[in-house]
Amino acid sequence: MAGGSAPRPRRGSERVGGHECSIIVGDRRFRLLKKRFRRLTSVLVVVFLGWYLAYIGLSAFARGFMARPVIGNVNVALVLGMLQFVSTFLLAWYYSRYARRRLDPLSAQIRQEVERRREAYARMMAERQLLEGWNAADETAGGGRR
Amino acid sequence: MISTTGDGRVLTLALFVVFIAITLGVTFWARANTRSADDFYAGGRAFSGVQNGVALAGDYMSAASFLGIAGLIALSGYDGFLYSIGFLVAWLLSLLLVEMMRNAGRFTMADVLSYRARSRPKVRTAAAVSTVTVSVFYLLAQMVGAGALVSLLLGIHAGDSFLGLSAEAAKTLTIVGVGIMMIFYVMFGGMKATTWVQIIKAVLLIVSTAVLTVLVLSRFGFNLSTMLGAAADASGSAGFLQPGGRYGQDVRGDTVRTVLNKLDFISLALALVLGTAGLPHIVGRFFTVPDARAARRSVNWAIGLVGVFYLMTLALGFGAAALVGQRAISEQDPAGNTAALQLAHELGSHLGGRLGGDLLLAFIGAVAFATILAVVSGLVLASSTSLAHDYFGHVLMLGRPRESQEVAVARISAFLIGSLAIMLAVVARNLNVAFLVALAFAMAASANLPAIVLSLFWKRFTATGALAGIYGGLGSSLVLVLLSPVVSGKVDPVTGQNLSLLPEGVDFQLFPLENPGLVSIPFGFLCAFAGSWLSKEKAEPQGYDELSVRSLTGLGSHRPA
Repeated sequence: MAGGSAPRPRRGSERVGGHECSIIVGDRRFRLLKKRFRRLTSVLVVVFLGWYLAYIGLSAFARGFMARPVIGNVNVALVLGMLQFVSTFLLAWYYSRYARRRLDPLSAQIRQEVERRREAYARMMAERQLLEGWNAADETAGGGRR
Repeated sequence: MISTTGDGRVLTLALFVVFIAITLGVTFWARANTRSADDFYAGGRAFSGVQNGVALAGDYMSAASFLGIAGLIALSGYDGFLYSIGFLVAWLLSLLLVEMMRNAGRFTMADVLSYRARSRPKVRTAAAVSTVTVSVFYLLAQMVGAGALVSLLLGIHAGDSFLGLSAEAAKTLTIVGVGIMMIFYVMFGGMKATTWVQIIKAVLLIVSTAVLTVLVLSRFGFNLSTMLGAAADASGSAGFLQPGGRYGQDVRGDTVRTVLNKLDFISLALALVLGTAGLPHIVGRFFTVPDARAARRSVNWAIGLVGVFYLMTLALGFGAAALVGQRAISEQDPAGNTAALQLAHELGSHLGGRLGGDLLLAFIGAVAFATILAVVSGLVLASSTSLAHDYFGHVLMLGRPRESQEVAVARISAFLIGSLAIMLAVVARNLNVAFLVALAFAMAASANLPAIVLSLFWKRFTATGALAGIYGGLGSSLVLVLLSPVVSGKVDPVTGQNLSLLPEGVDFQLFPLENPGLVSIPFGFLCAFAGSWLSKEKAEPQGYDELSVRSLTGLGSHRPA
């Protein structure tokens, strides 16, 4: 599910090491991911909270306006209330679409690269063990960093 | 009057027994499949996005929203709908936070905070205190509600008796019974059982609400405007379809009172919209899915289901006002909590005579019980998880408990918290504690939200900031409610009747608003900022980097076995 086909670390609470972390933090793609996510969240928070508070404000202070009939007994208050539902559905849909298109691929790339680095590191260690004549049989070769 | 016949009562009980039997079966199955801490706290992280989404909706749609909002709309008109809107819009905040929290956390909110304060068990303690406080208040409201519901549902009035029980005894028995069931689900079945109970209940609730909605609309030729008109006519008040019937009322000739009423309304609206993302039983559910994408999907499902459900409360509330009538509703329960049940009885009677009425009423009554039972279980699970994982595991055992030990402690905590809630609810069984739901939302927004948001998004946030935010937000909302009109000093201006929790004559009301959110939420954020700025300690930059890498990419996040 997350990250689609990306290889993922096995179960457990593997911490992301300090060195690994600083590499990722410096990565251009990570900075882009972070920037996009923050922009998305702040825009959405401003939009939905602003619109909600505007609606609450109208309910508290503009009763005459809210009471105006629109169709039959359906008044402005009811239409705006229903629009809060519609906007919630729309914003949730927009967020999910944006995340799927613009965020998930970036995070998948970053994860894949970490995975590659971990494998390369494990291979290197295995080779070194071989060259230096360690008993590599007990160690895991290519099993990722523990 | 709703059914007071023996048949209806027996049918309600029978249906409820069927629900109990099924959920007990689920609990035994869950017990056999719960081994690790991951299983107990997070259902093995193996629920799909859809399953968890339905369960999230189940956790959220409490009896307060099913019965309470329908009653509020029936009695106060449009203003009841304001609750529905706040409760739904709030989910957008959860949607924005859920993936980061799922990636970063393990079982609780404190897991997310701990990145920024690795060496500070005090933050864990604070999170546990806040989690348990919010949950217990919410629990209390639900359980006292269950007691009130049973006497109404079984038609036992003061002086009346059913199966040899007086109304008082039936209330107490219900509270204890509901309490024992919730303790049982959580102790034995953990998150797996609780989630399935939640899913079963959510499906029952949505389906039965949909049935009622269709039946209501069919009475008005599926014309919304006709239904609204009939409700407004039946209510006899001109402003029934506009805001202002209950919240933010204009008091003629008293500007101060009018402004305070409006501020109180805004305060409530803020607490509703900002509280959801900090509710412990909702946050705990973020960790039951395999990964962040499933977590996103589950919140999307919850938004869909919760949205449809709250839209239908319109039909229930206005339908009850039109078809049952306000007088009949307030005769049965002045707070209006029986409106949905009376509506079910009326709709059933219209379709199939007395039998039809009894049948539908019995069914909806059983669903209401199932709703209460499921929600209280979720709350007990959330608070016992926090006690065992945060306090016992990370504070007392310094983060090195054996997993089996921690789960055993979680089970014992469930028993203790559940018993505490039963005792408190029995003591409070005759008080009007409906305000506790809004208070729980206000506390969650004031204490938990600042800590969660700032630790995820603010680089300079420190452990001291987290402590100050949690205790500041929690303390201020508690103190403000204590000094508010809901506790003392509120008198009906017309009848002179005492409307507060404490008896007449006791008056230490200092804070004019009934909901503390407007003050306590900004205060919680302010404390969190001030604590971070003023403390001498430096923010831990590695902790922040690790948290942002992990929360945004999902690297190193906890996976299902």
